[in-house]
Amino acid sequence: MTDESAAGAVVLLVEDDAATRREVAAYLELHGFRVVEAGDARTALERWSARRPDLVLLDLGLPDADGSVVIRRVRRDAATPIVVLSARDREDAKVAALEQGADDFVTKPFGAAELVARLRAVLRRAAGPAAEPGGELRLGSLTIDVARHEVTVNGRLVHLTPREFEVLKVLVAHAGRLVTHGRLLRAVWGTAYSDEAHYVHVYVSQIRRKLAAADPEGRLHGLIVAEPGVGYRIRMPEPGRS
Amino acid sequence: MERVTSTSLRRAGLIAGTAILALGATTLVVAVLEARLGVPNASATYLLAVVAVAVAFGIPAAVGTAIGSFLLYDFVFVQPTGALVVADPEEWLNLLLLLALGVVVGQLAGLQRSRAETAILRERQALAQYRVGRELATATTAGAAMPPLVQLLRTEIGVGRAWIGLGPGVAGERVMADTGSTGPLAVPRSYEVLQRGAGDETPLWVRIHEPRPASADTPDPQVQCFRVPIAIGGAAAGSIWLLRSRSAGPPGRGDTRVLAAAADQVGRALERDRLAEEATSAEIARRSEAAKTALLDSVSHDLRTPLATIRAAAGSLMDPAVDPEPAVRRERAAVIDREADRLNRLVSNLLDMSRIEAGDLRARLEPFPLEDVVDTTLERMAELLAGHPVTVVMRADVPAVEVDAVFIDQVLTNLLENAARHTQPGTPVRVRAEELAGGRVRLTVEDGGPGVAPESMERLFKKFSRVPRTGEGSRRGSGLGLAVVRGLVEAMGGGVTARTSELGGLAVDVDLRAVPVPESVPGGGPAAGGSG
Repeated sequence: MTDESAAGAVVLLVEDDAATRREVAAYLELHGFRVVEAGDARTALERWSARRPDLVLLDLGLPDADGSVVIRRVRRDAATPIVVLSARDREDAKVAALEQGADDFVTKPFGAAELVARLRAVLRRAAGPAAEPGGELRLGSLTIDVARHEVTVNGRLVHLTPREFEVLKVLVAHAGRLVTHGRLLRAVWGTAYSDEAHYVHVYVSQIRRKLAAADPEGRLHGLIVAEPGVGYRIRMPEPGRS
Repeated sequence: MERVTSTSLRRAGLIAGTAILALGATTLVVAVLEARLGVPNASATYLLAVVAVAVAFGIPAAVGTAIGSFLLYDFVFVQPTGALVVADPEEWLNLLLLLALGVVVGQLAGLQRSRAETAILRERQALAQYRVGRELATATTAGAAMPPLVQLLRTEIGVGRAWIGLGPGVAGERVMADTGSTGPLAVPRSYEVLQRGAGDETPLWVRIHEPRPASADTPDPQVQCFRVPIAIGGAAAGSIWLLRSRSAGPPGRGDTRVLAAAADQVGRALERDRLAEEATSAEIARRSEAAKTALLDSVSHDLRTPLATIRAAAGSLMDPAVDPEPAVRRERAAVIDREADRLNRLVSNLLDMSRIEAGDLRARLEPFPLEDVVDTTLERMAELLAGHPVTVVMRADVPAVEVDAVFIDQVLTNLLENAARHTQPGTPVRVRAEELAGGRVRLTVEDGGPGVAPESMERLFKKFSRVPRTGEGSRRGSGLGLAVVRGLVEAMGGGVTARTSELGGLAVDVDLRAVPVPESVPGGGPAAGGSG
């Protein structure tokens, strides 16, 4: 059940409900994580300074302060992955947390397996840069040659327009993280378009279609996952499955 | 009110003219009788003229005519003629008899006439009161009866303008109906108000002066203003206002009675409205109470069922007496997980429903591709749908829709859960999206289950209606899912309908606004082509 990306990784778990915290901690420990617990923002910041964990799992609703305090503090110090726990209908809070530097979110109540999968994906992304020395991004059968502006699936060339290429490149470069619509728009179109989420949807639809056409085996099906109202993420292939 | 003044002048002239004409004609007849036919004394003929005038114009005119007859006969026919002198004492007797008879006959005829007049007046008042009552009784509300009512009062009482204002004080009255059309009226500083005594006491007009600054549009000083207070249960509620020419004087006793009765009836009608309103809100409160009870029954059942399952599964895992196989243990844990998930969906629906009902649901509409939500939701619900072959029919060129991403996710979740819960395992489920004419996209979720009787389709979307489905499989469901679907879809400006699917079961169509695919997304701005 364990894999190298989680082995021994230290997770700072910030959650104010003690029963939930203990249950989640026990489950994460079963999967090879080492867990440092905190029940409020103050303790979380103390533990962060003292232990410098590999990952922060943060509930946004804390008794003494807003969870965003923790995000800002962690981001000031390091690029350590942050996964936020949030309720279903708190779209604004999710987007705000992601814009402040969180990497992904998991909706409460969550399944334990889903949580572990998400944490691993984030850690894998943090473990090593996706870009290889030759300016290539690789994700399973998908390769993006950044220098030559080429995308191939199993060696088959996929013809993308320059902007489709940029959208895919930004998503893959952040594989394992959730990229908000705003961030994608700013990266590809510039700040003037940061409210036009529709452009992103149109381009993602086109990219999916073109990738599917070049991928008759369906290995890349579900590669780009939508988080309605928030953004897109690239699903990290499980090790050994791609 | 020139009209009223000229009418009374004209009437006086008419009476005098008629009397003179009658006396002249009678004098001619008497002359013929006495001079030509030799009748010694034909003075009784004048009684005819007196009676005629009495019948036509009443007692004062008759008495006047009788005196005129006396003088005329004396002047024209009694010796010496041409002077008001009587030589023969016998002629005196004749003349005095003529006068006495004339006055008495005239009075009798006049009395008869005034009785008839009073009867006609009473009948007119009774009719007026009846019409006022009918206007108020047949109208749905007192307010609706007021425009015809003021018209009726204006013509019946003979005033220039009539209006009804409602409000506790004269200054703050709101005009409900007005026969005039020259905009709002300033109530003059002095007006006549009708004071009502207790019981049968005759109402009196009392002059009121209000210490208010004269406004620019002070009414014509020739116009008098009358106010009849309207009360509900003894409390001032408004007034009937009348404008009338000063020369016409205050309304007569009969008209005053009509006005007083009209004010009473308006007051009663207003009270009736208020009681009806109270009864309605009491009924609404009662129904809403019943709905709340239904909600609590339904929700507590639906919350407790999964909780009971969870506790049973946890109990068997905790029991030291049994040490189940790992496979059995995992199965128990899976039950807990699944039931918790179900609770979560139910709580989401409850929250949405309460927001829908509180009118607190604000859709954040954005262009959104349906394929995104369909893929994500199907994946999330994979376990619940495990027994059902699910097909997705969606052409690549289906345009994006304008939706709230969270809402549409919940809509699809509820529709899929509904299909999965109400059909047997193995029953096919189909999700389909197609473009409709008129810039709309239809998202359909349908199943091959037992379906719903056509007459029950509309009830599906009512809160807590568990429409019986034929056959087994209709075990669960809070009756909230489809009601939430409708609330959310309508909040997004769409519509939901149910029909029988080609697959045999229920099909729910969700129509949403399409977003036209932009021909080209603007390429301006700093293209992030920095890498190459």
